[in-house]
Amino acid sequence: MATIKINGKEITVEDNTLILDAARKAGYEIPTFCYQADLMGIGSCRMCLVEIEGQRKLQPSCITPVLHGMSINTDSSTVASARAGVLEFLLANHALDCPVCDKGGECELQDMVHKYGPRTGRHAEPKFKFHEKDYVLSQVIIKNSNRCVQCMKCVRVCREVVGRNVLGALGRGDHQEPTSFNRTFLDCDMDGNCIEVCPVGCFMRLPYRYKSRPWDLKGADTICPYCATGCRMVIEERDGQLLRARAQLGVGLNSETLCARGRFGCDFVNSAERITKPLIRHQAATWAEALASVKDGFSGKEGKHIGGVAAATLTNEELYLFQKLMRTVFGSPNIDSSSRWNSDAASAFIHAASMNEGGVSIFDCMEADTVLIIGSHISDENPVSEYIVRRISSNRRMNLIIASPRAMKLDSSANVKLRHLPAAEKAVLDAITLVINAGKLSEAEKLKAIKDSKMVDLLTAAGVGVDEITDIAKRLSASQSVAIVAGTEFLRFPDGTSGLALLKDVLKNLGKKVTVMPTLDRCNQRGAWEMGVHPSFGPGYATAEKGMDTEALLEAAMRGEIDALYVVGEDIISDYPDREFARTALSKVRFLVVQDIFMSETAKLAHVILPGASFSEKEGMFTNQEGRAQSIRKLLALPGKAKRDLDIIRAVGELFDGSFGPKNAVLVLDEIRQVNPMYSDVSLLFNNKKNSDNRLDNRAALVKCAAGVLPAAGEFASKAVSSRMEEHSFALVTGSHLFHLGRFSRKSETLLGLIKGATVEICEDDAARLGFVSGEKVKVKGKNHEVLATLKTSTGSKSRVAFIPESFEDAEVNRFFRRGEGVPRVSITRANQ
Amino acid sequence: MEKILLKNIDKPGSHKLDNYVRNGGYKAFAEALKLKPDNIIQMVKDSGLRGRGGAGFSTGLKWSFIPKDPTIPKYLCCNADEGEPGTYKDRAIIDNDPHLLLEGMMLTCYAIGAANAYIYIRGEFVFGANRLDEAIKEAYAKGYLGKNILGSGFNLDMHIHRGFGAYICGEETALLESIEGYRAQPRKKPPFPALAGLYGKPTVINNVETLACIPAIIEKGPKWFSSIGPEKSPGPKIYGVSGHVKKPGLYELPMGTTLRDLIFNHCGGMLREDRALKAVIPGGVSAPLLTPKDLDTPLDFDSLAAKGSMLGSGAVIVMDESTCMVKAAFITNRFFSHESCGKCTPCRDGTPWLTKVLKRLEHGEGRPGDIDLIESLCGNIFGRTFCPLGDGAVMALRGALKNFREEFQYHIDHKKCMAS
Ligand SMILES: Cc1cc2nc3c(=O)[nH]c(=O)nc-3n(C[C@H](O)[C@H](O)[C@H](O)COP(=O)(O)O)c2cc1C
Ligand code: SF4
Ligand code: SF4
Ligand code: SF4
Ligand code: SF4
Ligand code: FES
Repeated sequence: MATIKINGKEITVEDNTLILDAARKAGYEIPTFCYQADLMGIGSCRMCLVEIEGQRKLQPSCITPVLHGMSINTDSSTVASARAGVLEFLLANHALDCPVCDKGGECELQDMVHKYGPRTGRHAEPKFKFHEKDYVLSQVIIKNSNRCVQCMKCVRVCREVVGRNVLGALGRGDHQEPTSFNRTFLDCDMDGNCIEVCPVGCFMRLPYRYKSRPWDLKGADTICPYCATGCRMVIEERDGQLLRARAQLGVGLNSETLCARGRFGCDFVNSAERITKPLIRHQAATWAEALASVKDGFSGKEGKHIGGVAAATLTNEELYLFQKLMRTVFGSPNIDSSSRWNSDAASAFIHAASMNEGGVSIFDCMEADTVLIIGSHISDENPVSEYIVRRISSNRRMNLIIASPRAMKLDSSANVKLRHLPAAEKAVLDAITLVINAGKLSEAEKLKAIKDSKMVDLLTAAGVGVDEITDIAKRLSASQSVAIVAGTEFLRFPDGTSGLALLKDVLKNLGKKVTVMPTLDRCNQRGAWEMGVHPSFGPGYATAEKGMDTEALLEAAMRGEIDALYVVGEDIISDYPDREFARTALSKVRFLVVQDIFMSETAKLAHVILPGASFSEKEGMFTNQEGRAQSIRKLLALPGKAKRDLDIIRAVGELFDGSFGPKNAVLVLDEIRQVNPMYSDVSLLFNNKKNSDNRLDNRAALVKCAAGVLPAAGEFASKAVSSRMEEHSFALVTGSHLFHLGRFSRKSETLLGLIKGATVEICEDDAARLGFVSGEKVKVKGKNHEVLATLKTSTGSKSRVAFIPESFEDAEVNRFFRRGEGVPRVSITRANQ
Repeated sequence: MEKILLKNIDKPGSHKLDNYVRNGGYKAFAEALKLKPDNIIQMVKDSGLRGRGGAGFSTGLKWSFIPKDPTIPKYLCCNADEGEPGTYKDRAIIDNDPHLLLEGMMLTCYAIGAANAYIYIRGEFVFGANRLDEAIKEAYAKGYLGKNILGSGFNLDMHIHRGFGAYICGEETALLESIEGYRAQPRKKPPFPALAGLYGKPTVINNVETLACIPAIIEKGPKWFSSIGPEKSPGPKIYGVSGHVKKPGLYELPMGTTLRDLIFNHCGGMLREDRALKAVIPGGVSAPLLTPKDLDTPLDFDSLAAKGSMLGSGAVIVMDESTCMVKAAFITNRFFSHESCGKCTPCRDGTPWLTKVLKRLEHGEGRPGDIDLIESLCGNIFGRTFCPLGDGAVMALRGALKNFREEFQYHIDHKKCMAS
């Protein structure tokens, strides 16, 4: 600890605290441009200079740590004149075109000059101009360098946080221009983090250009509706149109960062395709008529012939009430929240990831000596989680191990990257466990153990080398603490969960601190499970009467055993890995109610369609993958006759039981707190609070341990892929795209502008072998389906793996799958062959 | 004085290894390999050698900051960027006596435990880079570089890295960035390069002339070295004289030679007898100028610092009374603003502003109040920049303004030059 004096006030702070942070703690604001808590300090703008007693020169407080006994002055006239001097220099060549600048009104330079700046300008010389007209850098970025204050935050966020390195500076001195190579179009992640960190109007949003002034916008502090990272954002509207989503410095675990989907994909709520009135057999109806029809459809039906599927994009309150409706009103245990994987996989995953033990902060995970990421294409699926991993891992001495069939951007931060075959997570984990266990043996015995046939089988199944596995095992064994980040592949290939559970136990038995953090691809997947939208457990993972999951419901429907099915927000036909089966089964459901915001493939079969609300039109809570409960806030009015999902679910309940409730979101939350011990402390007050000290880890929002113990998962059949294949043959895997996730993104004008049609990604070497080039159209042909897609090559992916994102409706990727068939094989050929 | 640094440069074939060895070269290195590295550091410390690149930091002390842990890789970077206007001393050694530099580097690497050394050479020095390349090849062929050098078990590889044509590349941390493949911009200190330098590893950066002093120190001993010149900044020094003198050129003299002795004795006096000395820049353009009243100042680190100037690179620029100080200030300042790397605000935006004002003055477009403006801008730059480049720009300008303020005023009042 160091005791220092700031402006005469004594304060004790931790060693190595930056003067800037210490001053802020003591209540003194120091202006900055180039400083940003989560970027490496460069100390270049000189806005934060302070006086230190005994030092001749002013010092930059943003890169100077305190020393015990220091006496610092942040308010002296010298400091004030230095600030004014810096601002005068920044304005010397500044365009000063505030009236036509999109940043006007929320510009840090304006604010700073107002507060600290010179009142008159003395620069009476010709100004240097980088260019005459703003230029477009990408589909989402437009740039005006004449307003630049050269803080390099854009370049740094791109390199240090996003990991893309597509920005840099051209030129020297006052001709230095942060931009893309040669100012050409950027091939980038389109996340717009460079825009967000830019304090002035240099990097600007192209979709928002000239649409509004900050003071004309109304905003709501909410949570991103895409992946389960759970990024905090402010969405803003004007005239009922959502115009932008932005992140806030020091708020939420994401601080100022978002990914392309979060920052540019929320415009789906404006879509003209929104369903705005109830429909009965696709004819417009009143709510009264539609509800009467629902009443008819469900009346007199037995619970076992009723089912309900509610999407993991609904709020906790809605999900809770939904399962309550199903279980208590309809007497049906047949409840599920996903069509992509079955509920046993979910149970096994929840068990292996110890999700019932409460929330696990990603920041805690990143304190571990070794972090192993497996079964998660975190770079594309959970981009902001990936930013956090990249940022922290580059600032600490630690092991980062990535096991995945596909290459990813985060590979460049990894100490070890393992490329295994798809669906081989179990083989990889078992092999690692085997080597760790062999650690107790002598060298000779170890060699023998490693050579034993089980090991050989595992290595073959995983398609990896023994040295790679032993290297990973060695790093894990040498670590005191291990964090495993496990993703959605474990839900697709659930046999991996037993490998995960075993490795976790083995490491624990060796006395290590082990944490598992799940990564999930729907904003409220964790909440859906914790609210009990699952056929074998109720809220808080409490044991419940076993029912049917989506898959079993489809099977029952096929047999003609489903009388009524209530689907909220889920598109079973587009998501279930056997499209034709799902369609046929659903067409046999006697009464299908779909509640959604868009006309999904499933909705097209519905007898009654109820128009629901998007995340921007309601209040409620999402639980992110770590187990942080965070609230979403209403910004927009509902379109047309649409209603909030909570109100609809309650109205459906009231059709059968007038007292069904609770009657509003606040009361539902109260009930959740009582029923579900994991949520007993959850409060709408704390969960969106601004974090102090730039600490992004709002631990109060983490849910607690569940009361009950989850039963261990059973064994699953392996879907492993053989590595022997014919020339054009690939194993097909699917998942999220960096720009598209689920179905909302497909209604986002901006995201569709980035990429519309389906892509198929294979590794560079395979492309070269087959004579393909990135960008050409290819035909992907499987046993059941074929599509034309644009070829994309990746560097460093496992050979013979083809990836088609889930979201592209033109690819209908789930048609490649057949129930019970495992990972599909496809061939890839030129489109015209 | 017996020449030490320039002793070989006029000899035919001085750049060849054979000739270098014939003149006693590489003896010190061979001897040193039998000593403990720490002894060498101590000898250099005892010699009192101070860095010739500009700042005059004790070389032995700098080396002693390098951690001793043998498992950490360490680097030596020779600063051969020689970008300070008026400076051309390093080039003479590089072009004509490259093995002297290499031997100095070998000794340094042995002392600090570096197995890799880089020579960061100014991009324009194509001839010098080729000479060094040949010299390094010769040294490998003769076993002075490579594995197990002269049977000692010591390994050393040397690499040449050609610069990219920016003055800032000579600033030691910008130099490291440049070698690593980034834009040459200074890094924040701490951490100092001795702890985290090239690729984050302990690194010594020394100037060519500094390194060229090492073989003689080892061969003749620290006592001998420290007996040359003043006690606090001993040793031989190459003064590079340019401007209005009869015999401009490189002069290797004991440190502390006076300006008068250098100009009127060694350089043969002023170029034209009828034009009096007006000003001298004693150590490259960042150094504030001196006037005839300072002629008896010894040219060493401390004496010049006492006069408010600095020895810098030892580039002495002599100006006679025909020189317009406004123009000189303008040209100097234009150099700095052109070379500003762009990292920090005061230097990036302040120096070009000064240049624009000075340019107006020089072209007879000065306005009343310009001098106050210049002084105020200087105040907003000085002491507030990230690296010494911005300070250097201000020091040079302030020096001119302090001594020749009336010439600046004359330019404003009469829209023309006082000197002509
Ligand atoms: C703007 C700037 C330019 C510099 N240019 C050079 C140069 O060209 N050559 C050089 O040796 N040192 C140069 N230096 C000094 C180096 O930063 C460093 O102090 C020196 O190389 C250390 O070597 P020494 O201890 O042997 O003097 C420069 C410093 C600054 C601030
Ligand atoms: S959008 Fe992201 S990837 Fe693209 S330039 Fe900006 S920060 Fe870099
Ligand atoms: S473009 Fe914006 S973020 Fe980038 S350096 Fe300029 S002011 Fe800073
Ligand atoms: S999609 Fe995920 S990572 Fe991207 S902004 Fe939304 S929550 Fe964050
Ligand atoms: S003073 Fe600042 S802008 Fe100038 S060269 Fe140094 S770091 Fe670059
Ligand atoms: S904020 Fe400290 S120098 Fe920029």
